Amino acid sequence: MPLGRRSAIGVTTLGLLVLAWFMATGANGLISPGRFPTPADTWAAGLQAMGRGYGDATLVVHVLQSLKLVALGFVVSVVVGVPLGLLMGTSATAEAVLNPVFMLLRPIPPLAWIPLAILWFGLGDTAKIMVIFFAAFVPSVINTQAGVRTIERPLIEAARMLGTPHGRFIREVVVPGAAPMIFTGLRLSLQASWTTLVAAELVGALAGLGHLLNLAQQDLYPGMILVGMICVAIFGALTTALLGLVERRTLTWVRIKGETA
Amino acid sequence: MSSIRFDAVSKSFGAGQVKALDDVDLAIADKEFLAIVGPSGCGKTTCLRLAAGFEFPTSGRVLVGNAEVREPGPDRAVVFQQFALFPWKTVVENIELGLRNRNMPREERRIRVMEAVELIGLNGYEGAYPHQLSGGMQQRVAIARAYVLDPQVLLMDEPFGALDAQTRVVMQEELVRLARRNPRTVLFITHGVEEAVYLADRVAIMTRRPGRLKEIVDVKSIREAEGWERYSRIEDVMDLESFVHLRTHIWRSLREEKTGAAH
Repeated sequence: MPLGRRSAIGVTTLGLLVLAWFMATGANGLISPGRFPTPADTWAAGLQAMGRGYGDATLVVHVLQSLKLVALGFVVSVVVGVPLGLLMGTSATAEAVLNPVFMLLRPIPPLAWIPLAILWFGLGDTAKIMVIFFAAFVPSVINTQAGVRTIERPLIEAARMLGTPHGRFIREVVVPGAAPMIFTGLRLSLQASWTTLVAAELVGALAGLGHLLNLAQQDLYPGMILVGMICVAIFGALTTALLGLVERRTLTWVRIKGETA
Repeated sequence: MSSIRFDAVSKSFGAGQVKALDDVDLAIADKEFLAIVGPSGCGKTTCLRLAAGFEFPTSGRVLVGNAEVREPGPDRAVVFQQFALFPWKTVVENIELGLRNRNMPREERRIRVMEAVELIGLNGYEGAYPHQLSGGMQQRVAIARAYVLDPQVLLMDEPFGALDAQTRVVMQEELVRLARRNPRTVLFITHGVEEAVYLADRVAIMTRRPGRLKEIVDVKSIREAEGWERYSRIEDVMDLESFVHLRTHIWRSLREEKTGAAH
């Protein structure tokens, strides 16, 4: 389907959703405003959050706080996770050593780290970065490792036959060969970063979108709850789109391959 | 001096259940072009992989020059059936990787790569990615990648097997031209009898699994005596009585092998 038509359909769907929202919460009152806010309530709450602020800070401050932590947590996860995945993908010994640790850690839900994180680092940024890390580095590791496995054997043999030294082999054969899967891992890591951050802020934070959501719930303020949720949706989508842009820029050859395949 | 020698080589896979090669003795002289033909699964590719250093014999020795093969290396360039070009590298980047690995200075490298591009007739495609090229062009890049190393030994594993018939013929003629200009010790694996007779100095026939050497046919002396070099087109050579005779001889030998194995 052409891109123009696809985005036209997407915009229409969103428009219909907003229209349904107006009708369901409006004067005919299918849903009571105490349970779900009207568009007008939400708009008012949004203006309030941006102007006077809510929960000791303006909306911009909350958003920036959350963005900062997502970015930091994501970067730490990737910087640790991708090399670890490369190591496990290329060395059987490393895999044998690290895999049991993974098997043990993986079933622990990331949010179960929150109490320990708060105990160690308090309600500040470090605790949240730690929780994000535990959630987000796993998909980076696993997908990178799987990506290394997808590299065709003749390519590895060709590199060896050409006398490629180890460092260059990793940089110019393993990393690009695994790159499509590495990006899949990064997308999942980013998603996990957002999910975990908001959850961690819900439990205990001094600012951020999760904090705003938590306060709004305590204040029985549905309009503000929706403002928080909409912000998470928008900035989650924006960061994902940014990553997609980086992926397309980096992997021109994959697009070429796809077009000719 | 870069001969290839198989000394009583046997190779089994999977804890010895599958015997791919059984006691193969074969010597390829310096600058000789030897083709191995045989039925599918006869272990001819295993021979090449042993010479390349991708696999090691279960018993016996494989020597290149006078040294036993212990690992893959640019002195034994391999041309793979499925090309094995790096899809994320351009034509030039693919060809020059082996030279970079040798720490050749940039300027010298550029000249060598451009010569190679010229040789394979891919001028104008230097910056293209492999998937933007046809199969024949990709295999030319793979051949250039091997030739640019100026290797002692060329190992070619059914290099034209994945190409369409017309492209294959063009590539075969080009390979003959290349081999005349710049002779190398070549081990060429194929299941095409005509291809083997057209290209090789000698043709080794292998038996069905476990692979043994059945017969080695000398093509070179007949080619020289009958003056095949006078013809530049493959179809003219293939029409010659001496060519037909050799081809039929090898076909019969292979055929006996196939029916013989059924009983």
